[in-house]
Amino acid sequence: MDISTTLKPAAIHILLALAEHDSHGYAVMQTVRQQSGGHISLKTGSFYRHLSTVMDAGLVTEAPGPKSGDDPRRGTYYRLTARGRQVLVAERFRLNDLVAHMNRLKLTTRKGDA
Amino acid sequence: MKFYSWLLRVYPRAFRERYADDMRRTFAMEMAEFSTLSGLSRTRFWFVTITHALWFGLTARLPQGLTMRSFFTFDVRDAIRSLRATPVITAIAVLSLALGIGANTALFSILNGLVLKSLPVKAPHELALIEGSWTNPVWEGLRDRATLLVDGTFAWSAQQFDLAATGQRDAVQGAYASGATFDVLGVTPEIGRLFTPSDDVRGGGPDGQIVVISHRLWQTRFGGQSSVLGQSMLVNRVPFTIIGVTPPGFLGVDVGSAKDVFLPLANEAAIRGRESMLDERAGWWLDIMVRRRQGQTLQQAALALNSARLAVREETIPQDWDAKNLASYLTDDFKLADASNGFETTLRTKYAKPLTIIMFVVAAVLLIACANIANLLLARATARRHEMSLRLALGASRFRLVRQLLAESVILALAGGGGGLFLAKFVGALLVRQLGTSATSVTLDLSLDWRVLAFTGAVALVTTLLFGLAPAAGLASLSPNDALKEQTRSVAGDRRFGIRNVLVVTQVSLSVALVVGAGLFVRSFTSLATMSLGFDPSHLLVINIDASRTDVAADARLLMYDRVRDAVGAVPGVRAASISAFTPISGVGWNGRMLVEGGPDVPMKERMIWVNPISSGWFGTYGIQLKAGRDFSSVDGKDGQPVVIVNETFVKRFVGDRNPIGLRTKGGIGVEGVDSYTIIGVVSDSVYRNARAGVPAAVYVTLAQTGRIEASFAMTADISGDRATVRRGLAAAISQADSRLAFSMRDFADFVRASTAQERLVAMLSGFFGVLALLLAALGLYGVTSYSVNRRRSEIAVRMALGATAGAVIRMVLRRVVWLVLAGVAIGVGISLWAGKYIVTLLYGLQPRDPWTMAGAAMVLLGAGVIAGWLPARRAAKLDPTVVLRD
Repeated sequence: MDISTTLKPAAIHILLALAEHDSHGYAVMQTVRQQSGGHISLKTGSFYRHLSTVMDAGLVTEAPGPKSGDDPRRGTYYRLTARGRQVLVAERFRLNDLVAHMNRLKLTTRKGDA
Repeated sequence: MKFYSWLLRVYPRAFRERYADDMRRTFAMEMAEFSTLSGLSRTRFWFVTITHALWFGLTARLPQGLTMRSFFTFDVRDAIRSLRATPVITAIAVLSLALGIGANTALFSILNGLVLKSLPVKAPHELALIEGSWTNPVWEGLRDRATLLVDGTFAWSAQQFDLAATGQRDAVQGAYASGATFDVLGVTPEIGRLFTPSDDVRGGGPDGQIVVISHRLWQTRFGGQSSVLGQSMLVNRVPFTIIGVTPPGFLGVDVGSAKDVFLPLANEAAIRGRESMLDERAGWWLDIMVRRRQGQTLQQAALALNSARLAVREETIPQDWDAKNLASYLTDDFKLADASNGFETTLRTKYAKPLTIIMFVVAAVLLIACANIANLLLARATARRHEMSLRLALGASRFRLVRQLLAESVILALAGGGGGLFLAKFVGALLVRQLGTSATSVTLDLSLDWRVLAFTGAVALVTTLLFGLAPAAGLASLSPNDALKEQTRSVAGDRRFGIRNVLVVTQVSLSVALVVGAGLFVRSFTSLATMSLGFDPSHLLVINIDASRTDVAADARLLMYDRVRDAVGAVPGVRAASISAFTPISGVGWNGRMLVEGGPDVPMKERMIWVNPISSGWFGTYGIQLKAGRDFSSVDGKDGQPVVIVNETFVKRFVGDRNPIGLRTKGGIGVEGVDSYTIIGVVSDSVYRNARAGVPAAVYVTLAQTGRIEASFAMTADISGDRATVRRGLAAAISQADSRLAFSMRDFADFVRASTAQERLVAMLSGFFGVLALLLAALGLYGVTSYSVNRRRSEIAVRMALGATAGAVIRMVLRRVVWLVLAGVAIGVGISLWAGKYIVTLLYGLQPRDPWTMAGAAMVLLGAGVIAGWLPARRAAKLDPTVVLRD
């Protein structure tokens, strides 16, 4: 059932970028780059492809018209839906469990080398 | 950005409808960020963007069936892996494909811009041109009647205007256009307004004398400021008010020449003053274009216009015409020609044919490249027989294997096609620059449109089939058992090379044809470029002077011309200066028909002579020798006895062996009241309108005896020393003689270069592609030979072990190469003989079946073949039989 397990890291980063406030496409792209420390660098094409996935899944919607006086060149604003927030939270718990499990195993790269 | 909008179409429709607008905005911001970066990361940025669009657009559109899915997820992946495993072969294949496709696309996009593309105006298919040129009275008569007959009409006359305030001309291309022009074309202003019929009235409309400028001129001369509206601009030294700017895509209606200045037709009177053509009934200077009504065919529109023909023609009968000409003037129909892609221009008529021929040349080069790639892939396929038969034995279907080979070909073709499009952009721009000369720049719209893309797509597809099918066909004969048989010691003969030999022979034959063509074009060009003009142009400078802004009366012009000539002659560095109505090889001229009293009765067809009115000293300036008699002098003025100086060709044709001096001509040159001239001198031959036409029978008269003196004339100066200094001196001297003279200067050598521009382009391109074809064919020969040597290692080793010498091995290998080349040469010569008839008009001084050129091409191919075969042959001769046989 859990959609978050089928989401790619880039899509999750997009959800994260929208978690605090609504934002437009270009700003989301930049936030994702900063959040991921540059590991995930979305270009226009790939960004909209991931966006269409999360929108089709109902995790993100278009925000109703931007505030008046805002630069019209920026285009549509996007908003995290309640379901999107649930997915993020679920993802957080899932990853927390995963990390806790790893910590218990004291996993390092040098296996059997101690 | 336009490109990105276009790229967005690749995405699936539903996706596009939802996101396209937003994507465009986001992309604009992203691009703004990336435009600050270096070239390399910009290239990478575009590459990522384009690949993403193509990949996502393609996969998302695929039918969800299993075959297609697995094709893209497995076959393409495997294909990419196996292509990467042989990087050199892949790189060579992609590069030669990109070169071939790029050259084809570049040529096609030029032809497209020159011949096929529609004008960037509203509903271009409705536009039609009334054939021929027209007088302004005819246009005005037609204009007033045509509103009821067709959707719209306008008149147009391409002009060169001068934007300088004083002195040297600052030439720009422009046009006189009737008031309704922009409305009929459906062009809307970038800023301001475009003129309308109310502006097209003599003396100016509501805003006075006005002018519309192009977007380019607005950007380059006025910095794109909107304050340009209402500013005054000098056109041919007459002030006009700028009222508007045309949009960036609008270049006028003449293909290849971008117009920057548009004046209402009636303003012609303001510029030309007393010599205005507006009421001239025998001055044919306007093109008339018609917009047909919706659903109206060319014939219907012509029929409609012809209902007004008689009335228009009766009103506009040219003065002083004889009855025969008048009858045809009244009865000639208006004929309409389709004009959806602009006017027939000299550029189009001049280059359409050469470019079409070069198009065939590059197509042949692409074929050769395809043959090479097919050869490479065949070699690869044979090397992979073991792998393939193993996979067959393990249960893979033949279809599956064919699919993978096909995927490899598709990827090669896509990469080659993409690279080709990229190359085409540069090659195309480079070629267009070659079409222009220093005096006339050529502007063609080379942007991608559906035609170019469809063309490149089709070329890539066809090439894929051409080189992709060969290895796939080889799979048919493969059996799973092959994998189980060890084939190390098998002795391979010449069998199985059938396809590859055919490919090589094809390559060689095409190369022969191309090399023959290149040889013919290069020889034509060199004989044209080095042919004797009859004078040495290297130290001549031509100054075109326009005196129409001075207030000197027409009959006093000659005096002023002499004054200017004297001023020019006094400039340091000028050895001599003289005036003529026409400059040799400038393409224009004046002709008539003549006979000489007591001379042979030359048939009508050969009575044509060419006339040039000159000042005294003209022959001296050009270094043309006076062979007999005397030069013009002050006694040959307006009231003197009518005299001419003729050239040697004239004497040969019209006089014969007698002494020509003192003989009288029968028939004049069109000067009123003079129908006989006395020959006072003979000069050596020189070319007239263009070098290609050779030396015609020429007649020189004095300017004073031609009656009407035009307001513009050409002065030629024989100069020495530093050109720039002399030019500065000349400009100062002319301005000082009369500041209202407008003039431009050009080295004579420039004229010569311009007059052979077409031949130079064809020679250059065919030479380049001929060499490319030769290289590719040699590469193909080398590939086939070294491959067959490899296959026959064991056989050769056995032969050597049995006592064959190195020389014998080399001979054996080379014999095969020579046979292949000879077969190719024979076919190639056949192709050249057949194709010759299509290029005969482009040649100069030789026949398309020139045996020397053919023999030369055959020798070159044979030489290249021997070199290509020698390398693998030598390797074969160096084999150590013991090593090979022990393997």
